[in-house]
Amino acid sequence: MSTVTDETTTRPRWLHDLRLVAHQVKYEQLAFWLNRVGAIFTVGFSVVFLVMLGASAGNQHVASLGNIRLVQYYVPGFISYGVMSAGFNTLAITLVVRRETGLLKRLRLSPLPTWVLIASIFISTTIVAFVQVLLMLVIGRLGYHVALPSSWIAVIVAVVVGIVSFAAMGVAISSVIPNQETAGPVTSIVFFVLLFLAGLWFPLPAGSGLAKFSDYLPVRHLMIAMDKSFQIPRGASPWAWHDLLVVALWGAGATLVSLRRFRWAPRRS
Amino acid sequence: MALAMRVDDLCKSYASTRAVEGVSFDVERGEIFALLGPNGAGKTTTIEILEGFLLRDRGTVEVLGVDPGDATRLRWLRERIGVVLQELAVESFFTVRQVLERNAGFYPHPRPIDEVIELVGLTDKSDAKVKKLSGGQQRRLDIGLGIVGNPELLFLDEPTTGLDPAARRTTWDLIRLLSAQGTTVLMSSHYMDEVEALAHRVAVLSRGRIAAQGSTASLGGRDQGEATIRFALPQGVAVADLPVTPSRVDGEVVELTTSDDLSVLHQLAHWALERDVTLHGLSVTRETLEDIYLALTRGDSADSAPEAR
Repeated sequence: MSTVTDETTTRPRWLHDLRLVAHQVKYEQLAFWLNRVGAIFTVGFSVVFLVMLGASAGNQHVASLGNIRLVQYYVPGFISYGVMSAGFNTLAITLVVRRETGLLKRLRLSPLPTWVLIASIFISTTIVAFVQVLLMLVIGRLGYHVALPSSWIAVIVAVVVGIVSFAAMGVAISSVIPNQETAGPVTSIVFFVLLFLAGLWFPLPAGSGLAKFSDYLPVRHLMIAMDKSFQIPRGASPWAWHDLLVVALWGAGATLVSLRRFRWAPRRS
Repeated sequence: MALAMRVDDLCKSYASTRAVEGVSFDVERGEIFALLGPNGAGKTTTIEILEGFLLRDRGTVEVLGVDPGDATRLRWLRERIGVVLQELAVESFFTVRQVLERNAGFYPHPRPIDEVIELVGLTDKSDAKVKKLSGGQQRRLDIGLGIVGNPELLFLDEPTTGLDPAARRTTWDLIRLLSAQGTTVLMSSHYMDEVEALAHRVAVLSRGRIAAQGSTASLGGRDQGEATIRFALPQGVAVADLPVTPSRVDGEVVELTTSDDLSVLHQLAHWALERDVTLHGLSVTRETLEDIYLALTRGDSADSAPEAR
């Protein structure tokens, strides 16, 4: 049996490609933090919201969630926000900008394999999400004495399912946005309306009309899964398989759209 | 001489338009070959097929000996070609060195980063952010990204569109330097002077077809054929006194079209020296590349007229 090897060395090609993933992840990370727009949207926003809301209304108690403090609800809520912002909003805008300015075409014409590019983007987005998770936990714990998650594994599973699914939705929406000028407004409006309807700022009473409507959309399901990993409402199981499944189904649907609609270059005039 | 590219009867249609219809040409290793034509003539489509970015409908294409439409050979091919797009596709928040190091990592045998930076003349800008560079400097960085993988073959799609005259000159010098080092270049342009200054051979594209191709100096037979001799009628001399018969007299300017320019000049010079008169503004011109080009692409839509600078 012969394996495909790199011409320069005797290293197998897959090892070379794994190093390429690490190389590209490094520059995806640099791009994210140097560009600042994504960092402000994802990390900055959630820090500011958690600090402000925690200070102003954090000590109110929420009867519908077992009488927990509101700030305890906000910590998993803004962790979900960070996951969705990194995966959906920031990624969609980044992809539209890269496509319209020719950056995607240039990458496509380089020897970088497409799967390496995709893997690097997903890994980089996941790193951003975990940085944000850590920040929310530190601020919640030190600033507002919020209880830590009851199951760390459940948090990690919810973050990873959320990131992969919402990143797929980010790729899908980027493929239907026509140009750079509309990328920011379109994704932001869609995103913030969905967040509001899902009860990011004001917890929705279960069974309410808004809650039933939001049940068809992925945002609220990710929030519920994250809440449960923090044992909200009190005494709940940390696992929310049904909610994670709905999020994953949205991710699968978005992947199908992306496979059909994704473009590497601007539409020809 | 070995071929870098072979294109035979290439065809490509989009939904409603035939972008490329039966284009054929060869590019030899080491030469600069230009595709010249108005916007919409099929230059970019042809280049994108050769780069393996678009799939062709019909025809035979070989680039460095492989078919760019063959997905299994594409990575091999892309490790050996460099691409500079029409757009300045560089992230603005990276430094010059960062972008080059990132892209160098994609290739098996990259050029050393410092060598690339020196080649494109950005040594004192290597740690500057891309957004701080001038348009010309950004274009040179863009070309740097095209050559960082040490390509055998470089695609340049309208490399100086949007640059000021000084930046165009330095870009030309860079392209000549790369060619002198053995890189094969396929470029597209709609600037006559650029093609004339750089390309060894040229193909004129018009509405998806090749209207003419040949060496840049002899395209359309312009190195032979008729020449036009012009001079100002000397004071006190009537047209009838001239030793030759003008084709046209426009005020003071005498114009003479001939296929035997050498003997006409000889007669004129002899006559003028004998009589001690001066022929002000004496010139001999042949059809320019622009004349040939305009004749070949006449009838293409008015808004796609070429820019001659």
